Amino acid sequence: MQSMEIPLVLFTVFSQAAIGLTLMRAVRTTADGPVDGSGGARHEWRLIAGLMLLGMIGSLFHLGHPLSAPTALNHLGTAWLSREILFAGLFTGVTVLAALLAGRAGKPVLAWVGTLLGLGVIVSAGMTYAPPALPALHNALPFTFFLTSAVILGSGFGSWFAGGERASLMARIFTTALVVGLVLNLVAPCVWLSGGTVMRMTGEAWLGSSFYWAHVAVLAGCLGVVWKTRTIPSWLPVAALLGELVGRAGFFADTIHAAANMGGLY
Amino acid sequence: MKKQYAFHVDTERCIGCFTCAMACRNYYHQVEGVVWRQVHPLSEEIYPHRERAFLSLSCNHCEHPACLNVCPVEAYTKREDGVVVHHQEKCIGCGNCIRSCPYGAPKYNPVEKRAEKCSLCHERLDAGLKPACVQACPTDALQLIDLAEFTETNEVQYPAGYPRMEELNPSTRFVLPQTPKMVRR
Repeated sequence: MQSMEIPLVLFTVFSQAAIGLTLMRAVRTTADGPVDGSGGARHEWRLIAGLMLLGMIGSLFHLGHPLSAPTALNHLGTAWLSREILFAGLFTGVTVLAALLAGRAGKPVLAWVGTLLGLGVIVSAGMTYAPPALPALHNALPFTFFLTSAVILGSGFGSWFAGGERASLMARIFTTALVVGLVLNLVAPCVWLSGGTVMRMTGEAWLGSSFYWAHVAVLAGCLGVVWKTRTIPSWLPVAALLGELVGRAGFFADTIHAAANMGGLY
Repeated sequence: MKKQYAFHVDTERCIGCFTCAMACRNYYHQVEGVVWRQVHPLSEEIYPHRERAFLSLSCNHCEHPACLNVCPVEAYTKREDGVVVHHQEKCIGCGNCIRSCPYGAPKYNPVEKRAEKCSLCHERLDAGLKPACVQACPTDALQLIDLAEFTETNEVQYPAGYPRMEELNPSTRFVLPQTPKMVRR
């Protein structure tokens, strides 16, 4: 097992929760005309900005030299990590601005700008964590994992602010995202078992990992609760967040690096 | 082709004595747990004989290095002679190069809190000397070559036991081990 990379777990999951919330805010704006403020736009933007700031601060702890973090923007030409940090910085700026400017009704344009920047964060994070050294993840899977997490957490926490008339919309999106997340997480390791040696080792590591099964259990449990109650109880997004944190720890800890099998078959 | 220094690993000659790895360690005194050159025995699935064969590996100084491409602070540069150099003073210890290099060349130095890797002893090259590992190899299994002038004969770029990463185009070349000869009396 490799390092759990807890600072990166916090950064990726909290930032994806913030991006998902912004996306859902934009979706609700489109679905039913301008947000009427019944859920309190300022509170929602404060939660989004808080999650993002928490994630950004958390990410500093994985650096050997956190004070030099701004230099990580130096290589925008080819380094997806530089692009991820740029998008994350801009997205954080928009969320803080929105939290400061929002009245009860909020500003839909900031939700859309935030959504675009947030998708930039998810795309660049998906590329950053898909290096050739990790054959199982050297594809679109990290992007799809991250996007699914964003939609699960965004719709889950979004239900706190959706108001009565849009609660069912959030529940439908939450349910769909849980099904997609569950299918992705169940299928990916099984596909890896039929791949090359390192990919197979990754599949075996995931299927033998308590992180993996805890994540799957939380996804399935959340799905069961929504199925049974037809709504999203207020505690459920917190459970989903814990599930995503555990699953992300497994993502970092249980994915096998190509160099681990040097001298063996590939 | 531009000048490209590279390691030439003759696995037929290599006896797995680890002198190359020790020479690197003696020369640079890396902190405990940090290894720039490692000798990997080939698994029995690849070399199914009682005798063993080895791959002596460090940084491959790739044509398109993953470390250089993903480093967010531009701590890596590629010299005119093809050597990929890590400028440790620029490194912020994000670990992205370590995660991205499929050959595991960059290592995390827990004391400096920065990455580091084989520099192909570029200071020694500039002084007209061989890299420490090449100079120390007792069987001449490890050599320094310039791919621009090197005429390949039976060398391979991707032997079994070594990840095939064509997008990176690693510069190391290998001579494969032969089947051991059985002498009957």
